[in-house]
Amino acid sequence: MQELYLISLCALVFFSILAVLLKDLLKAALSLMAASVFLAVVLFFMKAYYAGVFEISVVAGLITVLFVSTIGLTRGDDFKESKLPVYIFPLFFIWFIIIDILIMYLLLSKMPPLTKWLPESGKFGDVLWQKRTFDLFAQIGIIFAGVFSVLALFRKRDKND
Amino acid sequence: MVSLFIIIPFVLAAFLPLIEKVSKRFLPDLLTNLAILFLLIYSMTFGYQVVASHSGIRHFQWFNQNLNIVFALDGFSLFMLFAIYLVSFGVTLFSIDYMEHYGSKGIFYALFMIMVGGMSGLVLATDLFTIYVFLEVAAISSYGLVAYGLKHDELEASFKYLALSAVATAFLLLGIALIFSITGSLKLGDIAERFFKEDAKFIMYICTGFFIFGFGLKAALVPFHSWLPDAHPSAPAPISAMLSGLLIKVSGVYALTRIFLNVFGLTPAVSTVLMYLGIISILVGAVLALGQDDIKRMLAYSSISQVGYIILGFGAGTSFAIMGALFHILNHALAKGLLFLNSGSVEHSTGTRDLNKMGGLGKRMPITAATTVVGSLSVAGVPPLNGFWSKLFIIIGLLQARAYGFAFVAVLASIITLWYYIIIQRRAFFGKLKETLQNVKEVPFWMALSTLLIALVCIIIGIGFPVVISKWITPAVNILEYGIRYAMQYLRL
Repeated sequence: MQELYLISLCALVFFSILAVLLKDLLKAALSLMAASVFLAVVLFFMKAYYAGVFEISVVAGLITVLFVSTIGLTRGDDFKESKLPVYIFPLFFIWFIIIDILIMYLLLSKMPPLTKWLPESGKFGDVLWQKRTFDLFAQIGIIFAGVFSVLALFRKRDKND
Repeated sequence: MVSLFIIIPFVLAAFLPLIEKVSKRFLPDLLTNLAILFLLIYSMTFGYQVVASHSGIRHFQWFNQNLNIVFALDGFSLFMLFAIYLVSFGVTLFSIDYMEHYGSKGIFYALFMIMVGGMSGLVLATDLFTIYVFLEVAAISSYGLVAYGLKHDELEASFKYLALSAVATAFLLLGIALIFSITGSLKLGDIAERFFKEDAKFIMYICTGFFIFGFGLKAALVPFHSWLPDAHPSAPAPISAMLSGLLIKVSGVYALTRIFLNVFGLTPAVSTVLMYLGIISILVGAVLALGQDDIKRMLAYSSISQVGYIILGFGAGTSFAIMGALFHILNHALAKGLLFLNSGSVEHSTGTRDLNKMGGLGKRMPITAATTVVGSLSVAGVPPLNGFWSKLFIIIGLLQARAYGFAFVAVLASIITLWYYIIIQRRAFFGKLKETLQNVKEVPFWMALSTLLIALVCIIIGIGFPVVISKWITPAVNILEYGIRYAMQYLRL
């Protein structure tokens, strides 16, 4: 279980860096989607079920659809992918891990122990249907917004279009 | 029912694309305008009663079962709702004629209503995560609306807006997650109490940094402003009016203010940071606006400058400064909304936004020219228009806080603001009419009526400002001045 958690974390960082460094926007958007999926997995491991669901549905789902639609509509000619990421990745990754360890060490050493407060926890169904109903309504709004945005992007402006 | 503020926009949005199949223009126009007018009147009557009777916290019930849906309609959220619906009504009236050539009005209005519903939900939310989710509702619909013209510039601007908003979202989520991990709750009242009782200053300052970055980007504060001059001018004029007039204030300024004044409490350090961010935004926005030839880009930079005034007022934290900042939210939403609509009118009639290609338009477009004068003078803070009073209150508030340098720069920037608005007037509306513009005509009825109404409201608020202050602003000021005690007492559900 712990290994899976670590693999997900590494994959999250890897795909996030890929999303930043890739020149092809479509590949970058897909990398972002992959990063979001791994982030959702991490959130599930951390028992933040509803955050994981939101991450998958909103970021990995809707936002990716918007990204891909926009890229599809605006994309020009294809171009060759730079080989720079291949060299930069390992260096960036090592640098990131060092900084990450330093920051986490600093944060954890100064984090006040407020464990007596009970977090909003429970099974996924309890959280979504009983504890955070209001967010469910808002998520319906997000889905509507995403669907209508895609419809707006692919609409016909007039009879000649 | 307080929930109607959210239910009406979402339900109408869901049905508008279907209604469009029955009637392409008339029914979507009529229903959207009626819904927004109803919400405006509802906020002024029912909403005001709820706030006056201090019964604004509502649990949502379904067959006598609590659904854990909690709204808090207080003086601050009601004031924001009033501003949202007032500007939205002017915008939907304007859209009747303006959006004719864009096609698919049903989908346009559906996205518009989702944006309004998202903003309403955000100001009524009592929970940090709910604030974030409604912020996303409004943001996602605004990406679609910015790209609505489907031209290259619009799609690119929408993409840039989306990408930078995603960065802001990441920081907000990080802050929210950190708060949740420490306090075990996301309810504003609980967070306020736990931060107040426990020594968690270090974490609070980290979250403060994340929120300043996240909400500052949404509010387009300098140095997080780079997305706004592309996104707002590229959108159709009614959407520019909504984004610049309302969205940056609701999703940026409102959320920032609610959290810093009612949940974390305004510490001297945060106050200083906010004041510096405000004054830098005022100056940078004003100076950058001066060099623009595109009328909409000039207005967009002006928005950055004016948001700076609002943040400066909240940062100062004195009664007058908070009152001025709140009043400026309303005044700037109205005046900048009006100016963006007028820039749409000019583009609609002349086909250009370039000030170099304009001149003498006042002869052909008298209503647009006259209402632009009202909007410009209001934003610049010329008496007796509404913008004057709010800026005056902010400056008095700064003097109260002994921030004399900030007050001096705020006055100076106001003069720069007047300067670039005079440039717009002189280059677009005064002087000799250019030959290429000989056939230009005044805009259609609904567009002209909408701008006239907003200009009239600017004048009425300017003259009758004591009524607005006592009826709408003071209840909101009281809540913000009550600080974290308000959240601990009323937002713990």
